[in-house]
Amino acid sequence: MSGRSSGLWLIYALGGGWGHLTRAAALARVARGPVRILTNSPYADEVRARLPELDILALDPELSVARARQESVRYVRASQAACLIVDTFPRGLGGELAALLPAWGALRVLIHRDLNPEYVRGKALDEFVRSNYDLVIRPGPAEAAPLAGLPQVRTTAPWLIRSAHELPSREAARSLLGVAEPQCVLVCAAGNRDEQAWYGSLTQALSAALQGVTVRSVAPLCPPGCPAEAWLRYWPAMDLLPGVDLVVGGAGYNTVNECLACGVPLIARAWPRKYDRQSLRAAGQAEACPASIDEAVSVVRACLARPGRTATRREFPNGAREAAEILEALGA
Amino acid sequence: MTPSDWTCPRRIGFLFPHPCGRTSPVGCPDCQNGQIQDPYAQRKDRAGYDNYGNYDPADWPGAVGASGQPLDFTEADGETLVKPQEEFEGDMTES
Repeated sequence: MSGRSSGLWLIYALGGGWGHLTRAAALARVARGPVRILTNSPYADEVRARLPELDILALDPELSVARARQESVRYVRASQAACLIVDTFPRGLGGELAALLPAWGALRVLIHRDLNPEYVRGKALDEFVRSNYDLVIRPGPAEAAPLAGLPQVRTTAPWLIRSAHELPSREAARSLLGVAEPQCVLVCAAGNRDEQAWYGSLTQALSAALQGVTVRSVAPLCPPGCPAEAWLRYWPAMDLLPGVDLVVGGAGYNTVNECLACGVPLIARAWPRKYDRQSLRAAGQAEACPASIDEAVSVVRACLARPGRTATRREFPNGAREAAEILEALGA
Repeated sequence: MTPSDWTCPRRIGFLFPHPCGRTSPVGCPDCQNGQIQDPYAQRKDRAGYDNYGNYDPADWPGAVGASGQPLDFTEADGETLVKPQEEFEGDMTES
């Protein structure tokens, strides 16, 4: 790797849920130079608590749209970053970067997670990105990418909050989970707060239906309906994956790619999103996509009946490291 | 030059009026880069609309549609058949 980056990287990571912030944190923690993350995720404090070394600038998630746009532009301008890295939304989540980017006098990089093609067409993003970004990084070859045909696109492995050598052993992960029984199912209650009740009910149903299996639900707050003894507050959930036999969760970018990296089967519910197409990701990467809690319980039971996972440590690339090297090579 | 955050404010479409929403007037088939007025903007009623045939149900007695229901298509029906355009960039909690 080349020497330290000479200037600040500012990662624009506005957007609900965990995904944008986690992807930004994955890059920030492997970069050699100073990185600041701008977020409005309601989970910013959870990430700060676990990674206090990160420079996270958190907007109040309750700000009005107009105020959030204003604040975001103000912080981006004030940063004078040598490299502006925009996660997912080329024009900014509220369109507020559209007027700023053409005159931005430093490197502009887009992290190209999947985007709703209607949005891409409606805002003519193909032309906008072609003209206003120096580099587009597609974080994972399996990630749907409507802008993949642009000449400045580079593809890396999926960006992960942990690299292979950082993950605990199976035994250590099972200790974190408090698992005594041979098998463990982890319900990853990621996503939005109004989706938590589904995860709570699912955890309750799995706990009641599965004998000899530990069921855990990982979330910042105990999901409604989730048995208190099954709830675990822990981030990043990727640390827990070496100790589990099956994950049930959403089909967001991080859940899917973390399970793939760790070789843990994922049963995914594809939640509707305005910009992300979880159903595409789930169809391509998940073991099954149950439509109801009853169906999820049946599928979990069938999956657990198959031969168990081995305790072998897995190797996998972390695309965040590769992305940092690309940026450093560009002199960012 | 069109500002980068510009969105066309016109309503377009003959059968199914809807917001234009284009981010540039260049190459627009409806207003031809702002050179012509929206041909549909001033219409009040499609019945007897020149050059588009006669859609007044009174002139088609006994006509029924595929469902067997009388043909009583009105401007209001046109509105209901329009798929509402999804709003983007208006919610800072989306993903």
